[in-house]
Formats: sequence, C-alpha cells, structure tokens
Amino acid sequence: MPRFFLHIHNGHGLVHDEEGSDAPDQAGARVLALDSIRSIVAEEAREGLIDLTGRIAIEDEDGNPLSDVCFPDAFELRMPANG
Amino acid sequence: MVEALLLALRARDAIDPDEVAIVAGLVDEVAMVPAKRTVLKRGVPLSHSILLIEGMMCRYKDMRNGSRQISAIHVPGDFLDLHGFTLKHLDHDVMALTAAKVAYVPHDRLTRMTEQYPHLTRLFWFLTNLDAAMHREWEVSLGQRSGAARTAHLFCELYTRLALVGKAEPDGFAFPINQTELGECLGMTSVHTNRVLRDLRERGLLDFRRGVAKLLDPEGLKRVAEFDPAYLYLDSRPR
Repeated sequence: MPRFFLHIHNGHGLVHDEEGSDAPDQAGARVLALDSIRSIVAEEAREGLIDLTGRIAIEDEDGNPLSDVCFPDAFELRMPANG
Repeated sequence: MVEALLLALRARDAIDPDEVAIVAGLVDEVAMVPAKRTVLKRGVPLSHSILLIEGMMCRYKDMRNGSRQISAIHVPGDFLDLHGFTLKHLDHDVMALTAAKVAYVPHDRLTRMTEQYPHLTRLFWFLTNLDAAMHREWEVSLGQRSGAARTAHLFCELYTRLALVGKAEPDGFAFPINQTELGECLGMTSVHTNRVLRDLRERGLLDFRRGVAKLLDPEGLKRVAEFDPAYLYLDSRPR
C-alpha cells in the first residue's frame, strides 16, 4: 500500500507528519483525513470548543502535495436559523 | 525461557525453587514469530496457551468498516491467552506488533499444574485477574480520559510493566510500533495520534518518535494521565 503524509495546519501552526500512514489510494488518504478531522474536533467539542479553521494537507511519499482537506469538509453543519 | 514471567510473578509473591522448575517445565516448544503475524484467531479451538518471551504483541478486534481496536499490549513475561485455558477459544485475535519469540504451554500441562500445585494455580489465576484489571483501566481511558491523558497513561503503563521485566531504559523504552497501531490502542486515527504526540512533546512530557519512547517528565506525565499503578498490583504478598 502506498504511504501518504497528512500534515495538520491550524491556528496552533503545523503538526508535521514524519511517519505517514498507509492507504490503498488517494481516496483512502482523503477518508483518513476526514476521519481524523472528525476525531480531533469531537475531542475538542467535549471541552466546549468547535474550531473548524484548520486543514489537512495530503502529500505523497515524495513530498508532492496532492490535496487539502479543510475541516468543514468533514461535517454537515446545522445551525439555528436565528443564530 | 520463563525468566520474564518469573520476574513478573516474583514482584507479586515469593516463588520457591521447586515452583520455578514446575513453571519451566510447562513450556513445550518455542517459536519465532515475524512482526505483524496474527498468532491467535478468534473462534479457533485451543489446546495450548502462549507465553511471550521477547517482543510485543496485542489483543485486538476488527470492525466491518476496517477499523481496529487494540485492547491490550503484551510485553515479555505475559501470557497472550492464559484465559484460553478455560475459555478454549478466544473472542479476539492476537497479533505480533514486533518480531517476537513465544513459548507454547500445552493445556494438559496446565491441567496437571492446577491439580498438583495450588499456589502456582492461584498465581496463574492472579495473572488473568491482572489482565482484567488492565482491561478495566483501558476502558476508563477510552471512555473518560482525553486523547492526551489516554496517550500519557498508555506510556506510563508500558514503562512500568517493561521496567518490571527488565526491558525499560532509565528514561524510556523501545516501542517499535507505528502511529496507526498506537492510534488503534487509543481509539484515534494515526493523524490525531500524531497531533496528540506533538502536544505531549511540546509540553515537555513525552517524546515518542521512530519506535523510541522517552519520558521527558515522568511525574508530569503521570499527573496528566492520572496514572495510579495500584491496578498493576505490584505489591509482593502471599497469594
């Protein structure tokens, strides 16, 4: 399986992925990015924060940028109409 | 062959030389296992239990969507499936995280031991009770601890257990697993795990990179984890 590097960019700066993760293909790497965003935001939500300002930059094994997944891409957002 | 097991047992109770010989005599054959090999599959009938001599293994269950939960990590001296002696098949799989060396203990030898040696029988019962205590603590981690606290707790536990069997360094330990597998222990994706590790590193608590764990501030790490080793029952007493 090819390896992808998923770097998180957010308000705190960059979390560089040194090790990478295996995924079947680029679509699989995107699914991992979406799962990861949901996991990170869910954890922060337990503390009362929903911060969707970040993105995950996906690179291939040679460091070529493939795509960006923005945090809002991982959610269907529903807000009160008069909010 | 059974030195690590004896170290783990002697931390909890005195063992006399006759008992050492009985424990050594439980082992039938020894085998090498390559990293990532599944050595025990759920549902398969068992006629022996496996003692881990070198390396690390894990208990896990896979979900239909491909996600995996690792529910325990085994270090040298651990039985992978002493519970299999009475259960006769497992409800989970066991995989080698690293290259490993194992010893097979036939169930008929365990049966004879339970018939003839009540103290050793109680100590082996203790080992399965200890497994249950560790599972409870992981349950608390997954249900109640934050990602950072959960991660800190796992490293505190592994450091304590590895030190007990002489496999830790003064400031850390070798832990040759990748961040995907670490995430499978912690209920997080590899990417989320990487972020938590970065956070712990920046707070000066833990540095885990390239299979080496360094406890930068053991007391601080314990505080973040709410780590209380009482559940590892490290006191030596008649059992």
